[in-house]
Amino acid sequence: MKEESLNFVEKYRPDSFSGIIGQEEAIKSIRVFLDEFPKKKAMLLHGPAGTGKTSMVLAAAKEKDCEVLELNSSDFRNRAKLESILKPATLQQSLFKKGKILLMDEVDGVTGTDIGGIPELVRIISETKYPIIMTCNDAWQSKMAPVRAKSKVIEIKQISIGDIVSILSRISEAESLNKEPLFLKQIAIKSQGDLRAAINDLQSYASGEASVVDSSEKRDVEQNIFVILRRLFKERAPFLDILDTTSISLDEILLWLEENIPKEYKNEALAKAYYALGNADVFRGRIYRKQSWRFLVYQNIFQSAGISLAKNESLSGFTKYERPKRILRIWINNQKIEKKKTISKKFASYVHCSTKRAMRDFELLKYILRKDEVQKKLRMSEEEIEYVREK
Amino acid sequence: MNEVDVWTEKYRPSKFEDVVGQQEILKRVKSMVLSMNIPHFLFAGPAGTGKSTLALIIVKELFGDKWKDNYLELNASDERGIDVVRQKVKDFARTKAIEKIPFKVIFLDEADALTREAQQALRRTMENYTSTCRFIMSCNYSSQIIDPIQSRCVVFRFKLLEKKDIIQVIKKIAEREKLSMKEDSFEALYEASEGDCRRAINLLQATASISPDISAEMINMIVSYSRPKDIKVVLDYALAGDFINAREKLLDVMLKESISGVDIIKAIQKEIWNLQIEPEIKVRLTEKTGETEFRMIEGSDEFVQLQALLASFVLAGQGKAN
Repeated sequence: MKEESLNFVEKYRPDSFSGIIGQEEAIKSIRVFLDEFPKKKAMLLHGPAGTGKTSMVLAAAKEKDCEVLELNSSDFRNRAKLESILKPATLQQSLFKKGKILLMDEVDGVTGTDIGGIPELVRIISETKYPIIMTCNDAWQSKMAPVRAKSKVIEIKQISIGDIVSILSRISEAESLNKEPLFLKQIAIKSQGDLRAAINDLQSYASGEASVVDSSEKRDVEQNIFVILRRLFKERAPFLDILDTTSISLDEILLWLEENIPKEYKNEALAKAYYALGNADVFRGRIYRKQSWRFLVYQNIFQSAGISLAKNESLSGFTKYERPKRILRIWINNQKIEKKKTISKKFASYVHCSTKRAMRDFELLKYILRKDEVQKKLRMSEEEIEYVREK
Repeated sequence: MNEVDVWTEKYRPSKFEDVVGQQEILKRVKSMVLSMNIPHFLFAGPAGTGKSTLALIIVKELFGDKWKDNYLELNASDERGIDVVRQKVKDFARTKAIEKIPFKVIFLDEADALTREAQQALRRTMENYTSTCRFIMSCNYSSQIIDPIQSRCVVFRFKLLEKKDIIQVIKKIAEREKLSMKEDSFEALYEASEGDCRRAINLLQATASISPDISAEMINMIVSYSRPKDIKVVLDYALAGDFINAREKLLDVMLKESISGVDIIKAIQKEIWNLQIEPEIKVRLTEKTGETEFRMIEGSDEFVQLQALLASFVLAGQGKAN
């Protein structure tokens, strides 16, 4: 293939780890993962678009002299397909190379139409004889949970503007484009950390004489959650459509806001912001119960403009936002109280009340549950008896 | 016969005559049961006021010893999805009864916990199988039951049991269990029960498990052991302006002790008046608390609503109200 026919992105895709800039941590984790395989069988790289996820996998394959089998979102990835293509590949040896890496690109693109895709993927991960590396933009969607549990999860950070500029200037030099540093910087800023977008932009300006980038024609990138949080919390503006710039669901954003409001707001702003969030939640409830989807408008406004306008003036400074922890804590807790639940269930069906009610009254009921006769009657196991005794 | 050792069961009335309170409802239900034909029932009212008991009496009166073969009890708050209605309810409803009485009875406890889809599915089932099946549903809030179901049922509203009713129940059990009750213990039991008979009996049995000499002091001790004690800590954090720790602790309490948001709200509402803040602000906080409880009942996310309330407490800690 002639070099000219390649676009810059492919032409300058790094073919070894040394060519990848600003991702030292991630590279280290990938090396460790491949060396330790099959300690963990799969790895999930997640991060914004254009940060080098796919490049890293290709570079890793090269370093380890492995063949890469790639399946991306242009392929059907329903259960049958995964079973017929991916599964044999995870079990057969490579013909020419030493090893093999299976790359599932953009796994978050495994959608509703790819029926059974995720469960099959999970099954394949547990059986594979070769390392599987998956990439996605958002590892925290609920549908990804089973995959997450089976994989080593690595976050790929956004590439800094400085690093993007230095890569652009290297390309600009190699292509003899003679672009000013300031011009390259403008492209880098406009890319919002998406290196691929920046390189594409550079190529589009390559032939022309342009030396000014119109920053108003911002790329229509999908805003990641951190950008959204930063804007809502730091700026004070009647944001109305910011939540439409992302595919993250309103409900998920609500959880992120819930977690992070107290990191930004104090006192009145705190109270106002939670009041707005409470309102958003009330409408969400109505949407679910009455299927009144029109109410989405209200939920949307309360959890965007409502949050932003809760403060009296814009804020500055850097805040480290955190992932919503509540759902995870509920899950962990459910594991812990499993015994309490099984006991309550036995008791509840015996006294004609709900398991929930029995769990709620547990502190009181444990006195009753300590009686031999009751334990016998409910057929409580040794561990369950132990549990009520200890509590 | 195998003696039952859980008092709420052991002393559950099995005849209309033994039931305390709800006399109007009893009279009407009894006359319908005597006619050996009942409509669908919806029993609405607070916990521990006799809804399940009445349902059980109805089937025992109708079917005698064979009641267990003709009766299905489902607790909707444990199995709230549409699948339950489609499978368990339907399977049971469509088989014919073999007794003299041409129908069976399904008791759907806490039916307000059923999702709306499940309620919609139920509505058809109720109609299609009226010849073979009657439904008795119970709920705390009838507003959470869709109209088409309410309109298919005879609705009875259960009131909180009065003090004399609860005391009557307690006296009878104490006698049978040979407990020695100090005079102040009745008052203490009633106070702690909040009109919930099941709670009063459980509390009595829990206290008796320690000693047969029951006093108010002992009852209150057991109550304080079993109460969400950390609510005060949560509110103290909030009043001191430490929202993050207040929230942490709140979630901790709710998860570890599986306390529902509504129970937390009840505890907060009581605690407000013990706090060191201006009375006017207490009134404002009470208003906020009431609003929060209302929103929860309406089906909002409990924890989101509680956080909004905690934020109001942060302001109150500075002598302000929102």
